[in-house]
Formats: sequence, C-alpha cells, structure tokens
Amino acid sequence: MANMRKKTQVSFVIRDEEERRHKNGVSSLQLDPIQGRLYSAGRDGIIRVWHTGGGTQDRYIQSMEHHTDWVNDIVLCCGGKNLISASSDTTVKVWNAPKGFCMSTLRTHKDYVRTLAYAKDKEQVASAGLDRAIFLWDVNTLTALTASNNTVTTSSLVGNKESIYSLAMNPPGTILVSGSTEKVLRVWDPRNCSRLMKLKGHSDNVKALVVSRDGSQCVSGSSDGTIKLWSLSQQRCVSTIRVHSEAVWALLATENFTHIISGGRDRLVIITELRNPDNFMIVCEETAPILKLCFTADQQGVWVATSDSDINCWKLPPLNSLNSDMYNQNNYNTNNVYQTQPLHHIAGGRAIKHYTVLNGKRHILTKDTANNVVLYDVLKACKVEDLGEVDYEEEVKKCFKMIYVPNWFNVDLKTGMLTIHLGQDETDCFSAWVSAKEAGLTTEMDQKVNFGALLLQALLEHWNHPNRVNEAGQKVIGNNFFSVPLHTPLIFSEVGGRTLYRLQVGDAGGETESNLLMETVPSWVVDVAIEMAAPKLNKLPFYLLPHSSCQSKQDRQKKDRLVANDFIQCRKVAEHVVEKIVGGGDVNGASAAKNSEESVNESPEERVELLCCDQVLDPNMDLRTVRHFIWKSSVEFTLHYRVLKQ
Amino acid sequence: MSICQDLGLNFQQRMGANISQLERDIGSEQFPPNEHYFGLVNFGNTCYSNSVLQALYFCRPFREKVLEYKAKNKRTKETLLTCLADLFYSIATQKKKVGSIAPKKFIARLRKEKEEFDNYMQQDAHEFLNFLINHINEIILAERNQSTLKLQKTDGNKEGVTCNGTLPQSQNTDPTWVHEIFQGTLTSETRCLNCETVSSKDEHFFDLQVDVDQNTSITHCLKCFSDTETLCNDNKFKCDNCSSYQEAQKRMRVKKLPLILALHLKRFKYMEQYNRHIKVSHRVVFPLELRLFNTINVPQSDDAVNPDRLYDLVAVVVHCGSGPNRGHYISIVKSHGFWLLFDDDMVDKIDASAIEDFYGLTSDIQKSSETGYILFYQSRDASC
Repeated sequence: MANMRKKTQVSFVIRDEEERRHKNGVSSLQLDPIQGRLYSAGRDGIIRVWHTGGGTQDRYIQSMEHHTDWVNDIVLCCGGKNLISASSDTTVKVWNAPKGFCMSTLRTHKDYVRTLAYAKDKEQVASAGLDRAIFLWDVNTLTALTASNNTVTTSSLVGNKESIYSLAMNPPGTILVSGSTEKVLRVWDPRNCSRLMKLKGHSDNVKALVVSRDGSQCVSGSSDGTIKLWSLSQQRCVSTIRVHSEAVWALLATENFTHIISGGRDRLVIITELRNPDNFMIVCEETAPILKLCFTADQQGVWVATSDSDINCWKLPPLNSLNSDMYNQNNYNTNNVYQTQPLHHIAGGRAIKHYTVLNGKRHILTKDTANNVVLYDVLKACKVEDLGEVDYEEEVKKCFKMIYVPNWFNVDLKTGMLTIHLGQDETDCFSAWVSAKEAGLTTEMDQKVNFGALLLQALLEHWNHPNRVNEAGQKVIGNNFFSVPLHTPLIFSEVGGRTLYRLQVGDAGGETESNLLMETVPSWVVDVAIEMAAPKLNKLPFYLLPHSSCQSKQDRQKKDRLVANDFIQCRKVAEHVVEKIVGGGDVNGASAAKNSEESVNESPEERVELLCCDQVLDPNMDLRTVRHFIWKSSVEFTLHYRVLKQ
Repeated sequence: MSICQDLGLNFQQRMGANISQLERDIGSEQFPPNEHYFGLVNFGNTCYSNSVLQALYFCRPFREKVLEYKAKNKRTKETLLTCLADLFYSIATQKKKVGSIAPKKFIARLRKEKEEFDNYMQQDAHEFLNFLINHINEIILAERNQSTLKLQKTDGNKEGVTCNGTLPQSQNTDPTWVHEIFQGTLTSETRCLNCETVSSKDEHFFDLQVDVDQNTSITHCLKCFSDTETLCNDNKFKCDNCSSYQEAQKRMRVKKLPLILALHLKRFKYMEQYNRHIKVSHRVVFPLELRLFNTINVPQSDDAVNPDRLYDLVAVVVHCGSGPNRGHYISIVKSHGFWLLFDDDMVDKIDASAIEDFYGLTSDIQKSSETGYILFYQSRDASC
C-alpha cells in the first residue's frame, strides 16, 4: 500500500477570514426545530448555521469548516447534538452541532460521498456515493471516537453496480433504499444487511428518495423527470407522477405520507397528493435548479436550497386546498404559482466563475456570478483590489505585459473561491525564478527569488519543525519578505484525490498540528520550506550567432551553443558578447581592440545589440520572454548579435 | 490450383498482347466503354499506396473531381495532387482497356512530401489515405487562397486602393471538393451527471475509425461506436457549469454523413505484453448495402445532412498478412456492376461471393489473414 501512495500536493484557499455567506450552491438543509436553527451544506465546502426565528436581522450564527470540497449532504442527529456531513472530498465528518467543531473524519469512501440517510429511532446513518459502496454508521459509536480510540467498524451493503446518487431510510431503520445511475432502486434490510429487492421503472438516474415510516412505501425522483410511488410490500410501482418538465432532484413527504413536495431542474417547487396526482400545486418558482427541500418547524412552510447561494423559505398551501382545477388550468403556467415572494430569504454570496492568470504568473483576475471583477495576489494569498462590475475581457487585455514566467501553480474554482494547488500533476512548483526587485519585495539589485519556495515558506511559517534552524543555529522564520493571512486554509492531499490534512496557516504552531504535519508534509516541501534548500535553477540552452549584417569573418559561422538561467536579461548576453567575443578582437579585428579603453564606460547594450528573428531586443527583457514571445518555439532557440560601435 | 494458374499463364502468352485473361473474363460485349482496368507497378513495398489509389480511382465522385482538376490546371507547379491527376488521367486515356502502369512520378513526389514514406518499408494504408486526403485538401485550399490574393491585388490596383491582404472569411470556410466528398460531422454529447447540462462538440472527419469485435458486422461496430460511455473514477468530466470534476455520460453520434463514407477498421492493436501492434483478424461482416442508425436528425438543416442515406460498398482495401509492418495490401473494387481484384500490377475479375473471404477469421489461432481494412461506401443518391 505504501508504495502505491500518490504524490502529495499542497493547496490553499484565498478568502476572507469570515465568509458569512454561501459562495456557491447549497446542496442540503437540516432544521433543528428545538433551537430554531437551520444548517445548510455549501458547495463552497462550508456548513453554515442560521437563526430561523425573528424578522430580518442577520441570521448568521457560525460556519463549520473542515471539508475541502463540496458538502453534498448533511443529517442532524442525536436531537440536534451532532451533525454528520458527506463531501466530494471523499470523507464523512462528525460534528458537534451546537459548537460547530469537527469531532472526527471517516475516510472509508474512495470517491465523492453524495448522499446520507438517517434512521432516527436507532441513531443510525448510512452514507453512499460514487464508489458504489453504502456504509452504515452507528452515530453513538461515531461520537464516542477519540484520537486514540479511532477505529470504527461499519457494515457495508454491497451489490450496487453503479454510482449512488440517493439514499433513504425509514426512522426505525428497517428499510434502506438506494438510487443510482443504474436506474433501479435497490432495497435492503439494514438490520441484517440483506438485499430485499430491485425495483425497475425509471429510465434515468435516481436522485431523490423518501421512505414511509413503516417502510411499506417509497417515493423516488429521477432525472427522467418523473416521480414514482412504489409499494415495497408489493414490490411494484403504484403510480408515476409527471408534474415536472425536467429532472427531479429533491423530495419531501408530509408526515403521514399523503403528499409529496418536489423540486428539481425546472426550478419549480410542486406539492402533489400521492394517491391522487391530479391534485397538485406549484408552490413557487426559484431562480436556479432545486437541490434540497426541508420543512419549517410548524410544517407550514418549506426551506429551499438551490444551485445558487441563496436560501429561501416559502409558505405551503393548506393541504386540503389542492384540487384538480389547478391541473385543468395550465400544467406549467408559472404565473399560476401559489407564492411569488418568499417568507424568509437568506442571501448568498457570489461564486467565482472565470479566472485569468496574468503573465507575471503572480496575479489572477476573476469574474464572479454577479460579473464582479477582482484582482488577487497568489504569492501573498490575498485579494488586491475589487474592481467592481467592469468589462472582464477589457481588464484582462489591460493587464497584459510582455513577460513570460513559467507556470508554477494550478487554479481550481470548484468551491466558488480561489483554490491554488502547488505540486499538482506536471506543474513544477519551483519553476518561477524572478527578480526580487521586480516582484516589489526588495530594492536590492540582482536578488533572485523563487515564487513557489517563498510561498511554501510563508504557508508553513508557524510550524515548529525541529530542523528549522540555519547554519548559525538561529531559528529561521518564514521567507523574510512577507507572510500570508493566518486564516488561510492549508490543505495537503493526494494529487487528484483524497484530502490528507487541512489546517489554518496560523494553527501550524500547535502540538497536535505539528505532529500531523510531520506525518503529512512531503519531503519536497520540507526541503524548501523548512530546510531552506534553494530550488533548482532553470537552464535555457540557446545559440549565439553574429547577425548577417555584420559578419566579417567566415570562421564566426559556427554556432556557439550557450546555456544560461532562463531569467537572465539580454543585457547579460550582451555583456558576454562584449567580453568574450567582441572584446577578444574577433570582430573587426584591431579596431575593436583600439577602442576597448574608451568603451569601458559604455554599457554593453550600447556596444552590442541582440536580435531574435530579426527583431532588436530590449536589454531588460529576459531570455525566457524572448523565447516565448519572439522565437515562439521550444527548439533551437537562436540569438544574433550586432556590434554597434567600432 | 497450380495447373490452372499455369494454363492461364500459357494462355495469356499465346494470346499475346491482343487480348488479356481479364478481357476474356469480362467479355468484350460486357466490357464497359470508356473504362480502363490498369494495375499499378510496385516500387518496393508500395502496395499500401497502390491499393488505396485503386480504391480511390473507383470512387467515381473522387475520380471525376481529380480529372476535372487536371483539365482546369494546365500549368501549375508539381504537387502531389498534380501527380495524382496525371496518374488518373493517364489511366483514363489509355488506348488499351487493360494493362499496368507505373505510378513513378506519384511515388517520387510522395517520398519528397513526407519523410515517413521516403523509404522502402511497408506503410500503413490508412495512414497513407489519411495523409493523401488531408494533403490534397490543403493544396486546394492553398491554391484557392493564392488566386483570391491575386484577384484582390488586381482589384486593388484598379481601384487605386491598397489591399490589406486579409482573406474574406468565406474563402477559408467554404468546403473544398474533398470536403464535399469525404467530410462528415460527428457530435460528441456530454451530459454532466451533477447539473445534467448537455454540452456538445462537433468534430469533422474524413474517415470513421471503427473498433472491431469477433463475429460481428460493420453495422454492429458502428452502433457500438455510439454507445454511451460513463466518465467516472479518475476520468471524471470537468464540467464548466459546476466548475469541478463530475461524473458524466458521453456519446458520439453522426451529425452529417459524407458522400463517400470511408471506414477504417482498427485491426492493429497495440499489445503491451509484446510491445508492438498485433493484427486483429476478427471476422467482421461488411454488407454491400449500409444504412447508419447512429445519426441525429437536425430539423432545420440543409439537404446535405441526410440521416437516412443508403450506402453501397464500392471499394475495399484488404490487408494480407500478420502485422502492420509486414504483409501485403490489395484492393477489391466494384465497377459497372462487377467486382475486380487489384493486386499491384495484376487485375482479376472476381465473384461478388468472394468478398466473404475478406471478412476475417472466426478463430484466433491463425496469425495471418486477408481482411477488409478500409471500406469505401458511396451514398446511393450520389452515384452517377
């Protein structure tokens, strides 16, 4: 197993210390009716807690942060004491719900965990996802886990042939149903993990399920646009409800299983009488596809989560008011909705949807869902400027500079915030050597810094690593130039895979954190960030030839193959020409030697000019920029020189 | 068998150059007027080229366009297309009805144009076809651009306006006759399983590459071509809408069918354990008539998009042997209702029933086989 271990990458998120609004869609909702709190699972990786009571005051209570990818589902258990969450970071987490901290992380799944189911009477939770496995968890065991006693046995339900997108259990935990891209419902008895039946009928993925309390009935919502009522005792589909025009993604059954409330891709919330599907009513129309529905405490309203970041609460019609007249009027007439204004509204934030890494490979320009343009500094892990609603393309053009710096990081927008990955795939984190002066870090001339090294040093500045001493025995802290914000989430994970460890930059000094870092931080990071080893320089081979306009001798025809650091300026090459070639009297023989004394005070660029593809080069331009913008090829990079003064 | 061959030889010798075995087989009354059946001399492993050239010669729309090009372009500099046009013209204008001809100029030009072909090794016939069609198309495009530039220049001089040298967009996007004959369009539709947004991407093709299975038919293989593939595990789809990697379902369908549908059977599979390509001799039946089922109906499109097109088999390039770099290529073509086998400089009339011999082998024991490798189907509404 050890040799199978994948390369570890380092990631961090550029964000505010407190993100009070969801930055991305909201996948799941749970209500604590006793405390009057609503829990929402965000695709920004954050679970947020809200006051449900009261008027229009700020409802935000706190954020629960530990996931590193979308939180896909949550269940509140133990009477509101604990929350279980499932995420695309492949983990299931157990939380202390009132205090909002993560108690333990379950790493049994091998792919995105999409869905959870809860048997209230037994305090049992099931989790499932794209790895096709279903695991059953005893919540009381999970909440008793400690750092030393952290092994947990689970039962698994096997037999699913494809990715699971939905699960449901009845409160006594006698029935478990799963929905998958296999288009069938699979039914288990979780008490003995036996397979009970397979129900065929849907023609597409099954994304939402509910089971009646006694386990005799089940309702499924599918990407085929239908809702089906199943009799589990008769093992058949009782009726097919066609009230939605697109995929059904969320279902909520009334307590006595008489009505079903549904939502999905068509953005409509519809309530339907299960035994008489002609009786239905459009409750409301949302602005984005609906992902989750959740009753208010009095069951007179419904909280709706969508792929937008807003959460709304809508009033439900009285159940006895539904009649088939609504159907006869117009099936999908959205003017005919029961409510046009929500009872309550929890405003969400904006997700970054587009980004451009600027040429200097340090700044990123982004555009969010509200067309707001923001400039970020990757090196310092912070926002530079909020430019407002300006023309993004225009702004990108404005920022163009003719400089070339190699890629040294990857950008990810999955959470709606900027996540930067270092050491991912083929991207060499240490490829960007730049002048410290040009980076605005110092006024000293000629000091070269490596972006990747500086950033890793800043990210791990607070880690008390035993090797963190320099030759003089002094403690070395950070990179001597800058620090990154203490709240910056720092994530270690397998490349393209599972999260190994997440912490905040400022917490690295803690004893537990230090120990965990010792286990996780890969050696390629320790070498540079702690032991301050200088990363390798990038060498650029090139050929140097006299320009055709000043060839005086045939023997200069041979190509000089030279190798230099990729960041050196053309001025340095000119210096080389003056010292090694022209100065030697090879060009124009004696006259050059005669003038050599006078030219001492002259800068090399005044004596020699360099050309690439017949274009005269700016002495300040570096070699990699010349190769990228002028030579435009990775092979046989050739420069020419021309003597200006004789 | 050997006696028959000997007799044939003797007979041919006795009859001299006046009448060949082929002419006797066809019969002088049945011999189509204005048609010539000429073998092509092998210049050392050039059967990959000979077989493809014969197949293309008997794709009537292609032959006509090449001859038309020859008639229109009298004094252009030598290109692979002028060489091909000269070769086709020379076959079409032979006094004799049958015989053989040496495509010397064409091969010389080919070896100049592409390094990979500049040797005496066996080449992949499909690679050659692919190169030839693309290259001819580029030549036509380049010549068209040049003539437009000239036109613009003269126009500019007349009007006294300087020309900025940019080409009108239509000039570059207008299909050439190569496009009109061979180009079809595929659409790949990908549906993200999270947001269920379908994104589609069009892709043009000059030939379709078909995976082969044992004991199947071309119709079946083409159907598999459009099977839904789920992108999952480490191969998830980067969904623009979700800004993340999600599972997705992808399938390929044909959006526009070409006039001549060239099907390349992927018979050379790379086997890691042998570190080389191994021939897959699976038996794949190719019908004389073909209709595709994996097409999509685009209601508001023009007539050229014809999902119900019925195709007739007109030519087959056959690979004989055990591997991609060994063996021999021959071609069978349909001309005026009967079938002919071209084996370099030899031409024979064959029975339609003999085509079955080139379907492939039902057992995997034998290494060597004579199997259909590139199939040329011509749309019935295009036949002349």
